Amino acid sequence: MPPASDALLRYRPWRGTLRSPIFGALAMGRVSLRLMVRRRLFWGLYGLALMVFFFFFYGQYLVVWIQQQTAGQTVFFGGMPVKAADLTKFLDRLALNGSGHTFANYIWFQGYIAMIVLALAGAVLVGNDFHHGSLPYYLSKPIARRHYVLGKCLGIAMFINLLTTVPGVVLYIQAGLLYDWKTYYADHLRELAGIFGYGATLTVALSLLLVATAVGVRRTVPLVMVWTGIFVLCRMLGGFLVDGQNLDPRWRLIDFWNDLYLVGLGCLGVDRATLRPPAQPEVWEAALVVGGVCIACVLYLRRRIHAVEIVS
Amino acid sequence: MSMDPSPLLLFEQVSKWFGPVLGLNQITLELTGGITGLVGANGAGKSTLIRLATGQSRPSLGRVTVRGVDAWDWRARRLVGYCPDHDAFYEDMTGRDFVHAMARLCGYPRADARRRADSTLDLVGMADRADRKLRGYSKGMRQRVKLAQALVHDPELLVLDEPLGGIDPVGRQEMLDLFRRLAASGKCLLVSSHELEELEKLTNHVAVMARGRIAAVGTLQQIRDLMDDFPLSVRIEVDHPRELARHLLAMPDVVGVDVEAEGVVVRARHPQKFFRAFGTLVVETELDVRRLDPLDDSAHAILGYLLGGSGKT
Repeated sequence: MPPASDALLRYRPWRGTLRSPIFGALAMGRVSLRLMVRRRLFWGLYGLALMVFFFFFYGQYLVVWIQQQTAGQTVFFGGMPVKAADLTKFLDRLALNGSGHTFANYIWFQGYIAMIVLALAGAVLVGNDFHHGSLPYYLSKPIARRHYVLGKCLGIAMFINLLTTVPGVVLYIQAGLLYDWKTYYADHLRELAGIFGYGATLTVALSLLLVATAVGVRRTVPLVMVWTGIFVLCRMLGGFLVDGQNLDPRWRLIDFWNDLYLVGLGCLGVDRATLRPPAQPEVWEAALVVGGVCIACVLYLRRRIHAVEIVS
Repeated sequence: MSMDPSPLLLFEQVSKWFGPVLGLNQITLELTGGITGLVGANGAGKSTLIRLATGQSRPSLGRVTVRGVDAWDWRARRLVGYCPDHDAFYEDMTGRDFVHAMARLCGYPRADARRRADSTLDLVGMADRADRKLRGYSKGMRQRVKLAQALVHDPELLVLDEPLGGIDPVGRQEMLDLFRRLAASGKCLLVSSHELEELEKLTNHVAVMARGRIAAVGTLQQIRDLMDDFPLSVRIEVDHPRELARHLLAMPDVVGVDVEAEGVVVRARHPQKFFRAFGTLVVETELDVRRLDPLDDSAHAILGYLLGGSGKT
């Protein structure tokens, strides 16, 4: 410690004006994002996300290249003569052609990885603040309870968008460059808006859902179980009821992941007739469910966080 | 220092229930500056009072304000720095990153936050160790980092919950010096501690809590003077104890004298009046007083009397 005479020399009264607590929430978001990035446990999943991106990136390139360069040629595959264009048929399901389906599929796959990371990271991001008592450090600073929730949601939002929206936009730019960029960008503005729309839907829904469940259950294992119930069991149940029991397609609304996908497809302007499986509820019905879940999470968080008091 | 005439921290008839349990009962307390020690047995309500003061908790009845702003309001927390008793950090962060993140949380722009974090870490003696990860810190280093995060936004009121726990004797002395300098620079410190000896070195002004109430507030001397039921005991070493005992028993404030081989132990009400009268007595009788030792005016003893126990907290 410096001598008594100069210890307070560098520590001077603050003469400036502190910024709004919104900036505090932004800082909290950055810290949350850093926490997720630093966890080595998740690096395997980030690697997988990178592979998915490269798959779509080079897949788009490959499809265009084959169509333009070798479409009419015959190549030997396992000793059999095969049309080069037929080699990419297995990619048709992923629709690597710069259409709305391309971006919807990409965000669907990346969203799954984001969802798994978030299920595992929920306790670190939010639950531990309650469980291990970090909350007083946040709440003793000049921010309100709502800024705490906002900060945590911002961190999760940054993470989701880094995994879905940002690479989605990169794929969009790439698709424009692969096709005729002069017409592609102008003709496919809806797709660009759809990427942002689907990303925003995932961002809002998953961040609110994660903060709400993490505030409720706090520990990693219960949180993963809850998310498994929401995104896996409900999905299986919805599929069983609609596809297995031939019940009304609206039963698929209990599949929250599918609801998010439908909203995303609605944003991307994809024709409903091309959806798989075909028995699907209306997009507006899915949007209602997503909105309802978000409102329920906000109300729950308002009750749990807004009035939170540190008592132990 | 603020020119705002409102008290820095004001509790007005504050009560706090936790379900059926009454945590605080009609607390009224006003802090305007200097260092105030907060003492009391476990469960007396110290932590509850601190949580109310720092906006962590909301009173069931009454009002807690910081410079006139409700303590629950985030604006009030611009004036309050809180150093909790437990440490729950993000262990992967360095001390500097943690304090910097806390500064950003307060609303500092990036460059200012960096400067504030550096100067605050320097202040608490952690500048040279701030780039190590928190998980490698000793208990004392963690205490210093906690103090740094509390000081980073230059609060007027600093609330410290057990700030000396786990710090070695040399470190304690440094921290006590720092607290004194902060108080001298115009900050108001509310220090809750079980380390009564250390607290006595730091401040003479204490608030004693018992069963959810403020049992007494003021300097130790003022509190001791008010305790008429517990006469002050003073050991006086002299060459002629019996002669001194005779003179002492003639004094109006003395309620008892025990004669020992080396001197006497006298029990007196109204300590200040007694000491004035005793001084006069020594001058008049030319007694050879070798040593004068008050036995129960320490914070320990006062707390023991107030709480009806041994004084241990």
